[in-house]
Amino acid sequence: MREILVEPLARVEGEGGITIRTEGKKVKEVRFDILEGTRLIEALVVGKTPEEDVSITCRICAICTLSHRYAALRGLEKALGIQVPPKVQWMRSLMHLGECLESHSLHAYILALPDFFGYPSVIPMLDQYNEEVTGALTLKKFANRVMEVTSGRMIHGENPTVGGFGRYPDREVLQQLKQEAKELLPFAEKGVKLFADLDIPSFFEQETVFMCCEPDEKEYGLVGDYIRISTGEVVPVEQYQKLTNERFVSHSAAKHCLYKKRPYTVGALARMNNLGDRLKGKAGMLFKKYWNERWLRNPVFNNLAQAIEIVWGLEQIPMVVDHIIKIKEDPEIVKPTQRKGDGVGAVEAPRGTLYHHYQIKEGLVADANFVIPTGQNLEDCEKYMRNAVEKLLTEAVDDDAIRLQCEIIVRAYDPCISCSTHLVTIECEDE
Amino acid sequence: MLENQKKDVGLYGFTGCNGDQLTIIHSEDKLLDFWQSVHIKSFSLAKSDNDDSDLDIALVEGSISNQEQAEHMKEIRKRSKKLIAIGNCACYGGVQAMELGSKGWDQRFRKVYGDAFFELRTPIESKPIDVFVDVDFYIPGCPINADQFFYCFAHLIQDHVPTIPDHPVCAECRWRENDCLLLKGILCLGPLTASGCNAVCPSHNLPCLGCWGPVEEANVSSEFNLLKEKGLTQEEIKRRFRMHNGSGIIKPLKKILGVL
Repeated sequence: MREILVEPLARVEGEGGITIRTEGKKVKEVRFDILEGTRLIEALVVGKTPEEDVSITCRICAICTLSHRYAALRGLEKALGIQVPPKVQWMRSLMHLGECLESHSLHAYILALPDFFGYPSVIPMLDQYNEEVTGALTLKKFANRVMEVTSGRMIHGENPTVGGFGRYPDREVLQQLKQEAKELLPFAEKGVKLFADLDIPSFFEQETVFMCCEPDEKEYGLVGDYIRISTGEVVPVEQYQKLTNERFVSHSAAKHCLYKKRPYTVGALARMNNLGDRLKGKAGMLFKKYWNERWLRNPVFNNLAQAIEIVWGLEQIPMVVDHIIKIKEDPEIVKPTQRKGDGVGAVEAPRGTLYHHYQIKEGLVADANFVIPTGQNLEDCEKYMRNAVEKLLTEAVDDDAIRLQCEIIVRAYDPCISCSTHLVTIECEDE
Repeated sequence: MLENQKKDVGLYGFTGCNGDQLTIIHSEDKLLDFWQSVHIKSFSLAKSDNDDSDLDIALVEGSISNQEQAEHMKEIRKRSKKLIAIGNCACYGGVQAMELGSKGWDQRFRKVYGDAFFELRTPIESKPIDVFVDVDFYIPGCPINADQFFYCFAHLIQDHVPTIPDHPVCAECRWRENDCLLLKGILCLGPLTASGCNAVCPSHNLPCLGCWGPVEEANVSSEFNLLKEKGLTQEEIKRRFRMHNGSGIIKPLKKILGVL
């Protein structure tokens, strides 16, 4: 028996590994191991106020801190009968765009790209790819600034709270963000070409199912009360348990998800495959130029999908800033209309659909469920690795080549392992 | 710094959100200087070619939440001259340690994972790293503040001991001329909490939640009584005190309440 291990898996957020066991030319086992310690957040939020809950749950992950906060706010506000005014909604859109750009520029350029050019990290790439690396750092710095301006801090900002915001940014600061977003567009467009020119092998390709939020405005977006599935179905987020069917596997502190017993994929690639034809402007042109049917079969295109989403995000920011500035009055924080209720909030975290489900009793959290993107991607991720290993075994390649290919697949999913261990027991319904 | 004088440094992340390592990565302008001022031997979040050699300085983020992490922590300690805890999880245990010192971990574990069997790890209740090893210096924050971190780091790599302010968030709040939220009857933890965040929440009209952990000189019982006078219940105050303060609040709270 041959055993190939990758542990710890570097350049991903959190503690994970890959285990591959083969016998002759047969694959015995291919696993994406989630080794991160357990935190039991969903048990700890019980008995807390909604405001305390968002301060705890955003800390599930530093990269997607605002997605966790946003999903929690949407779920909690439904349960509390709160409807926030347009200025709050636009501010939330802006913070969410900031996080999407931050996470994508970190993942695509700094964590994933070194694999394709044969470097251990982005730092030694500086000599040969100076423009790309410094450009990506500038882009990320801008995105961090958007998060700081809207949420109060680059990481775990508390300004977005239940019912609104503690304080609104100055008009001049917002205008500056608008200007910087415009200036960064040419770099982001060039970046799309960089990722489009990468040689992406096809030998592990296979069709799968894609899911993402269906935005209310029927445009491209990151938030919605419905889920669009690539099979054509559109399902209300309240039915998320049917969509995700979590189950526990012993090599993972995260639960795996299946939809109608099939693995599925969430994230930028899913959003592009399901909603990409709605894209306008430069992002729309780039999507039309580069999208092809291989995107439906190959997870590694997620890096390119993220690069196009960066362009989309930079095009959105000026529009969103204009909406915020247009509304002169800063709304007061909206108070709950009820002390008891149930609410499911879903947003697109950078790496896929994130659900926060709350039950509120007497104004406190009585129960909470979170389903996170990386857990949903685990089954597909293992499926594609298995395909790759099966093929590579017929070619008698060495362990390092197998290892690198598997790492490229895992990293393409942009796994967020800190997030993955925060899943709750859900009774599995077999359909 | 001359190449042969550069310190060997490793960064490690245990259980947490990775926000402290990410704060370092997010410091775009300083990241390259940071990288070049020392030999980065291990930084798994940012690079693949990591090794387990002896270190001058180990920077550790996250709490310890399984036996394997505890062993790994001890192993890192053995080969490091200095061990620095960075961020709330490493210093006090983080939000996952808010019930530390009370019973109920087994039940909480079962609520989340049922009777699941963990093949690869043996989970334990999350604790700060100094429960398992000696820590030479603590850099608090949730997350750490980049400026404070780089100030400390610059001292540490020259074998100096940094000093970080020991005043509470209230001091920064006054410097920023904010209205006092406590005077309005809002449950603000400013008087108990280590500063360094530039009083970010009160400056956004929101109460301090204590995410930097306790300040050394804090008068916990005086704040406790003040909040009770303002009409908050013992349960509400205790819950808020414990939320971000992990191991750091157990002793003073026990002194006030007798039991947790």
